Amino acid sequence: MDALLLLVEDDLSVREVTQLGLQRAGFQVITARDGREGLALFRSRRPDAVVLDIMLPGLDGLEVCKAIRAESAVPVVMLTALSGTVDVVVGLEAGADDYVTKPFKMPELVARVRAALRRATQMTPSEVVNLGPLQIDLQAHAVAGPGGEIALTPTEFRLLVELARRPGQVFTREMLLERVWGYGYLGDSRLVDVAVQRLRAKAEPDPANPTLIRTVRGVGYRAGAG
Amino acid sequence: MHGFRARLAATVVGLVVLTALLLGAGSYLFVSRSLRSQFVDDALAQAEFDIAELATEDRLPADADLAAFEASGLAGAIQRRGGTQLFVDFGDGEAPYSSGFAVASTLTRVDPRLREILAAGRLGWQWLDLDGEPCLVVAGRRPAAGPDFYIYFPAGDMTAALTRLWQSLLIGGGVLALLAALAAGLITRGVLRPVAAAGRAASAIAGGDLSARLPVESADEFGAWAESFNRMAASLESSIAGLQEGRDRERRFVADVSHELRTPLTALVAEASLLKEHLAAMPGEAGRLGELLAADTERLRALVEDLLEISRLDAGSDAGRPAEFDAAALAAAVIADRCPGAALVVPGPLPVGSDRRRLERILGNLLDNASRHGGGSQVTASLRRDGADLVVVVADRGPGVPAGDLERLFDRFYKADAARSGTGSGLGLAIARSHARAGGGDLVARSRPDGGLEFEARLPVTEPLPDGEALETDG
Repeated sequence: MDALLLLVEDDLSVREVTQLGLQRAGFQVITARDGREGLALFRSRRPDAVVLDIMLPGLDGLEVCKAIRAESAVPVVMLTALSGTVDVVVGLEAGADDYVTKPFKMPELVARVRAALRRATQMTPSEVVNLGPLQIDLQAHAVAGPGGEIALTPTEFRLLVELARRPGQVFTREMLLERVWGYGYLGDSRLVDVAVQRLRAKAEPDPANPTLIRTVRGVGYRAGAG
Repeated sequence: MHGFRARLAATVVGLVVLTALLLGAGSYLFVSRSLRSQFVDDALAQAEFDIAELATEDRLPADADLAAFEASGLAGAIQRRGGTQLFVDFGDGEAPYSSGFAVASTLTRVDPRLREILAAGRLGWQWLDLDGEPCLVVAGRRPAAGPDFYIYFPAGDMTAALTRLWQSLLIGGGVLALLAALAAGLITRGVLRPVAAAGRAASAIAGGDLSARLPVESADEFGAWAESFNRMAASLESSIAGLQEGRDRERRFVADVSHELRTPLTALVAEASLLKEHLAAMPGEAGRLGELLAADTERLRALVEDLLEISRLDAGSDAGRPAEFDAAALAAAVIADRCPGAALVVPGPLPVGSDRRRLERILGNLLDNASRHGGGSQVTASLRRDGADLVVVVADRGPGVPAGDLERLFDRFYKADAARSGTGSGLGLAIARSHARAGGGDLVARSRPDGGLEFEARLPVTEPLPDGEALETDG
């Protein structure tokens, strides 16, 4: 079955051509013109992924993203006109998995959406990986901690699995970008930093003093105590 | 400023001390002279009374000797009237009368002229020391006949008073000098404070704080001067603000326009990328037009991207984001992405702490420029460390530009060859230089001796932590 995408974009031309492009790439696409309509459609249709413009009239993209995150781990790809500055980080911190800067080329957007969906739907062997107090069930995409189930987005889950499978090994930001997001060397390493922050906030006993996902200064991150 | 203040204070103190010295010395001299002359007058009058009125003919006959004098009781009478010591010379080899042991010896120091005055029958006087105490010796005899009287009037009290006077004057002078120094310090500070304030305000303005003003506290020359100074500063501030505002408005306009262009451009770019898939199916001319449309859309996209980037750099909102990475690996990735034919020369891995994106933009734009304008020649990128700098050199063997035009390469929208319209935005080198400078470095162009152009970017970088030292930090 083709994946169902929700596209929230206020500009008619951009919305129409993006819808066309995504449909040609094999997705089913439903569209919304603003944040409120987008959120309503999201709740009624439960799409497999959301492509969300940040600058929307009324309820803006960041708020929509936060509202979606509050109830779902669905992959969210932001469309942003604001690259290079803190705005991208703000969007990522709101819970987006990835972003594409306007103006974007259609294949680029399609690639980002496919990568995000792959993280969410990838079939994995039945396996449970342990990291400290966490039990990571690869097939069920579920993480159990001391306080019960921890809800992670597919991106955060993939990141955790990537690190937890090789505890102690140091991963550079570039390695994680490539393995989790599917970027080459020139990707935006802020994706990794913000995702690690969000993951720590959810999974670490004390996010201010991380013990499960540790920073290796000047290199990257690694999993494991000690 | 400080030296001037000290000189001014020293002058004031010097004047005050000199005045006090003159006044003190003058008053001391005056007082001591009048006290002494009063003392002498009193002593003379007393001696005259003692000789003429006390030692009368009937109490002391002219031929009296020591025994007769002692019997007369005159010694006691004279001594009660202020002449504490007494020496009487009866002449004719008779033993003299002496009231004290020391008295006789002092007479050897009597001035011969005193004896002449005495012989002439008049009263004479002389200052002498008696047992360390200053004394006035008054000598005289009765006009008719009789012994020579030497009456000693002690002046110890008077000289002690004079000593106390000059001591007081000295102490007073010292206190006055101290007060003068204090007052001079305060006064000069008061006088020079406006000057010091003006100096501070002027350096504040020179340092870029155009809002610096002087307090106008008085209606004197300083007040008028402060007002003029403030008027000058105000007009400077308003004209600079006007210029700045115009510049800001212009930059905001460019940023706004670029931003507004984005949305339609996003649609255009997406449409062009979809259209490309249909190009093959289009009949001849339409296909070619579609190709051109796609290419032009791409050019427009690059131009708007560059405009937005340079507006961000102009606005100074492009804050660096330092990270630690291998510059050699980054350069290899940028070359693969932007100019796959270029050669990379690196000494090995180049771990640095710097802003990754800045370096990527600088190197990428230099490579774009070399591949567009290098006439298809071999492009070489080399990276090395030079002290605290990372040096990036991108060279081509193309036609180059005349030496006089090298600096103009960094002008916005500059085209070295007016006839050949470039495919770039005309902003790439300006952006690269802005990035280099925003990162604390610089970017320069020069002609290669054997033909072609060479760009050298220098970026200060930090030393990454040595391998193996895995410090644990949060984020």
